[in-house]
Amino acid sequence: MATGAPQPTDHLRRSFVYRELLSAGAHFEGEGGAAIATHFGDPAGEEAAARRLGLADLSPLARVGFKGAGTAEWLAKQKVAVPPESNQAVTQDGGALAARLAPGEVLILGAIPGGALAGEDDLPARLAAAWAKAPIPPKTPRGFPVPRADTHAWFLLTGADSPAMFAKVCGVDLRPAKFAPGCIAQTSIARLNGTVIRDDKGRLPAYHLLADSASAAYLWGCLRDAMTEFGGAPIGLQAVRALVNST
Amino acid sequence: MSAETLRLPAPSGALVDRSKRVAFTFEGRGYEGFAGDTIASALAANGVRVLSRSFKYHRPRGILTMAGQDANTLVQIGAEPNVLADRAPISDGLAVVPQNVSGSLERDRAAFMGRLGRFMPAGFYYRAFYRPRGIWQRFWEPIVRRSAGLGRVDTNAPHGYFDKAYGFYDVAVIGGGPAGLSAALSAAQSGAEVLLVEEFPILGGALTYARFDAAGEQAAAQCTELVAAVEAAPNITVMTNAVCNGWFADNWLPVIRGNRLHKVRAGEVVLAAGALEQPAIFRNNDLPGVMMGSAAQRLIRLYGVRPGRSALVLAGNNHGYLVALDLLDAGVEIAAVIDQRQAPPPDPAIDEVIARGVRVLSGHTVSQAVAGPGKRSTVGAVIDSIVGPGEVARQGERVACDTIAMCVGYTPTYQLALQAGGRLGYDDAAAMFSIDGLPEHLHLAGSVNGRHDLEAVLADGRRAGWRAAGGAGAEPSVPAETGESPNFPWPIYPHPKGKDFVDFDEDLQVRDILSSAAEGYSELELVKRFSTVGMGPSQGRHSALSTARLIAKASGRTVAQTGVTTARPPFTGEKLGVLAGRAFNPERYTAMHHRHLEAGAKMMPAGLWWRPAYYGAPAQREACIREEALAVRNGLALVDVSTLGGLEVRGPDAAEFLERMYTFAYKKQPIGRARYVLMTNEAGTIIDDGVACRLGPEHFYVTATTGGVDRIYLSMLWWNARWRLDVDVANVTAAYAGVNIAGPRSRDALAAVTEGVDLGAEAFPYMGVREGLCAGIPARFIRVGFVGELGYEVHVPASQGEALWDAMMDAGAAQGIRPFGVEAQRVLRLEKGHIIIGQDTDAMSHPHEVDMAWAIAKKKPFFVGGRSIELRLRQPTTRKLAGFAIEGPVGEMPGESNLVLRGNTIAGFVTSVVRSPNLEKVIGLAYVHPDDAEVGKPIEIKLDSGRKLGAEVVPLPFYDPDNQRQEM
Repeated sequence: MATGAPQPTDHLRRSFVYRELLSAGAHFEGEGGAAIATHFGDPAGEEAAARRLGLADLSPLARVGFKGAGTAEWLAKQKVAVPPESNQAVTQDGGALAARLAPGEVLILGAIPGGALAGEDDLPARLAAAWAKAPIPPKTPRGFPVPRADTHAWFLLTGADSPAMFAKVCGVDLRPAKFAPGCIAQTSIARLNGTVIRDDKGRLPAYHLLADSASAAYLWGCLRDAMTEFGGAPIGLQAVRALVNST
Repeated sequence: MSAETLRLPAPSGALVDRSKRVAFTFEGRGYEGFAGDTIASALAANGVRVLSRSFKYHRPRGILTMAGQDANTLVQIGAEPNVLADRAPISDGLAVVPQNVSGSLERDRAAFMGRLGRFMPAGFYYRAFYRPRGIWQRFWEPIVRRSAGLGRVDTNAPHGYFDKAYGFYDVAVIGGGPAGLSAALSAAQSGAEVLLVEEFPILGGALTYARFDAAGEQAAAQCTELVAAVEAAPNITVMTNAVCNGWFADNWLPVIRGNRLHKVRAGEVVLAAGALEQPAIFRNNDLPGVMMGSAAQRLIRLYGVRPGRSALVLAGNNHGYLVALDLLDAGVEIAAVIDQRQAPPPDPAIDEVIARGVRVLSGHTVSQAVAGPGKRSTVGAVIDSIVGPGEVARQGERVACDTIAMCVGYTPTYQLALQAGGRLGYDDAAAMFSIDGLPEHLHLAGSVNGRHDLEAVLADGRRAGWRAAGGAGAEPSVPAETGESPNFPWPIYPHPKGKDFVDFDEDLQVRDILSSAAEGYSELELVKRFSTVGMGPSQGRHSALSTARLIAKASGRTVAQTGVTTARPPFTGEKLGVLAGRAFNPERYTAMHHRHLEAGAKMMPAGLWWRPAYYGAPAQREACIREEALAVRNGLALVDVSTLGGLEVRGPDAAEFLERMYTFAYKKQPIGRARYVLMTNEAGTIIDDGVACRLGPEHFYVTATTGGVDRIYLSMLWWNARWRLDVDVANVTAAYAGVNIAGPRSRDALAAVTEGVDLGAEAFPYMGVREGLCAGIPARFIRVGFVGELGYEVHVPASQGEALWDAMMDAGAAQGIRPFGVEAQRVLRLEKGHIIIGQDTDAMSHPHEVDMAWAIAKKKPFFVGGRSIELRLRQPTTRKLAGFAIEGPVGEMPGESNLVLRGNTIAGFVTSVVRSPNLEKVIGLAYVHPDDAEVGKPIEIKLDSGRKLGAEVVPLPFYDPDNQRQEM
């Protein structure tokens, strides 16, 4: 790697799997105060791999959770489209995703930077700021921010073979016909608690996978192993963007 | 026999690729076969007929079913024992070794055992071996141990890669024969998503090897059509070379394919597992060369191997004539077709056999196979006329042949159906097992359902698939069977000289079964246990029907009344690796994990976490821990405390909630202060501790023990589901990385990287909590003193934990900072007399026992466990946790769990003990008798060696009793 190229250790904030990314040959770019893998040396190959089976580490991207009885009401006031039911996710105008994990718990995943929908609105940051600025008056149901960027690693699995790969590590039927876009499964992935959200990219099945940040390296290894038979590969933000922007 | 004459030209041999030759060895000798051959088919093509030696009598055994359904073909390949030679493919260089052989397969030294058969009747071991006294251990056990089991276990066997995958289908069809194919198609046409499981490499089942009409045309055409339709159906997933090894509740099916276990959940199951051909019973019916008619057909059609040169067909049904035609077409001379029926019903196949000049003899049977030298081959058969069920007039006509094909009947492959709760009955008219009483969502189709005409089998499949998929329109009808039952009612012809085998696996003869009945065992379950029938690797596939018939006759009951033995999974042998799959053992790493490794840490597990025990070589463990502990006391050191549990407790009722969950008081706790938390369960037993940091009027950040936090979090949710307080609890353990920078120089070092927090002794006193920036990272600072020195815990977002560690190490470099591990931390906390929950407490410890009554708020109305503690205090206290010390040198160190004795009674035990590097003496905590808990009292510790060591109860803490150091 060329001297002076962006490195994860240039930043205080680092992905939970940055060593795994480095050993897979990742090239990085700065994003949101951390380095995110742009590609792994073969951007064109990765775009093809992403259509079959790709694994992207989106851990450096912004996300935040809100939890508490008044969460949905408060988020609605902040102009967030909150799904009416638990275990559903809705894409916001700016490309962020609001995933309702429970009646009183919502996870906000920031938009893919450079993605087709990504607008000016950095929703996780805006919400965190709004919450800090305007504490809820007494006697109203409340929701509290949860540091999901640090409790959970964020991976994205893309491509036609991703449901078959998931079948090796997860007991929930995630095949497209059975697990519609916007569906959420809070389940066990390789014996680890995880949240799977279907959020197709470029007409291909894609799944966000959020799991314990301290176990991220373990999970990354399990996923890479499970992907091997399908020829799956780690992909960078560039391939994810290409997928998001394809129609 | 030479190999050239035994291989048949195409189209025989659907599974072999004649263009690819494969070389392998069997018992050290080289052979050649084709790609697609199994070990058994390749050996058969080379004229090798003996594959193994039998379990008890070491009789030579060869191909019986050619379907992986018998134990005759079990061989060893490398480290893997009990490989089915008639299923396992050959590959270049494969080294196959026979099993259960003393000497060589050809000349087995243990073959004399066959002559001792009369000394080993069924159940002989229940009476033998025990007298005279002691002979079992001295003589018999070593012999029995040597003969037990088949194959060789290699404890150095390399690990294989096994894994599992879930599968979800509307309909799972087990069996890819005609019934299964038509069931799968029918279900798929109704819109169901279908899984079709087939044990063999190709679809078609009997259509691929059997003959259904005299002309031999029906099967191939039907097979091609069905398989093409199945392969074209987008909603049918085909798994060949896969076995469904059991049925579990709600149609959970373990389907094994190679090294992968598919955990299949199906809405509906169609069982189209077919039928297993059954042997006839006559003397020497186990010789190599005596095989099922279907085995001969499989050799011909699937592998292109001629089963022998001259064959005799023993028929109890019309299938025997179809087998004879196949043999004729394969160039095998037919010595005769011996039909056990007195008057076979007319059939074009019989006419065709007669027309081809074959001798056909009705009302006769083979009463003995004639053995070649060493019983390694069949050289003929003795033919007698049948005079009654099981009785012959012994005329003794001898017919020369090298192969005897047995075609006398079938049993349905009932195992999965019975596992699912189906009942096995016996249809006396058809002389055949039948299955009923199936649970909902399980359907039978084809020969497992008693259908044998091809048209009926196909229609039965269509109907089962239609039912399983909830098909529309009228239910498909199934035509009645046209012919008579394929089962001859009594194909059992015992011989006065025996060796008329009922169970090939266990070498059980007719008289073994009859003697079990004579002993009074008339239930099949008991006969099995007494005689071991059906207990071998093939699990009664070929012995259950004959045994049931023999026992029924001997006990004067019907076959249905004798029942069969319980069918349990697995259907076939399965490897432990398949059951284990790929091991998923989650591990948790802190943000600084790699920094510890880089610093040479010896890591230790703490639940799922890995923590640094100490830094340095294991050989220098004690010295490393000592130096780390001294560094904390005298200089500056850093420990990773990220694994500590972290809980955000927020809401108007946050303080009230903590008052109920913990023993102490929190309502008046000032913002910016931390307070100790001690949790008891409903029995008043201590279960966790930590600190509660008040960050706002309605916000506490509460720490919990590494191992306890997940349980504590759940407990909090559980309690608040009852209390319904206006509070939210979030488990943020993984979100925060933390360090404790400790030592007299910690304030200066930390100040260098801290912004927005005054670290001065007055501005930030002991048990203070602050928020600010540390090395540019938003941080929570907590001034606590677990190790008893001036120190600060700094908690930051986990994603920035590594950067924090680096910044701390840089900031302290000038002051000689060094990392310290869990072991040094334990030493230091013990010097301060701090307990560790779970180490110094057990399932009975309440706060008063461990001198923590100070942590119980007296004035609040309730906390979990409070009432129990009150009740327990009304009982006499039986033990107290006390600090003890031993001055001077100690030969043998006391250890944790060493007993504390009081005279001859056990008063308690040691919970923690170390040689203190700072105090230069042994210090520890132990449960002692309450009367001995006073300072200055002697106690006695029983060491591991049994020696007793005196110690003295001393005041706590051992070190810095006035806590001046941590509060400086």
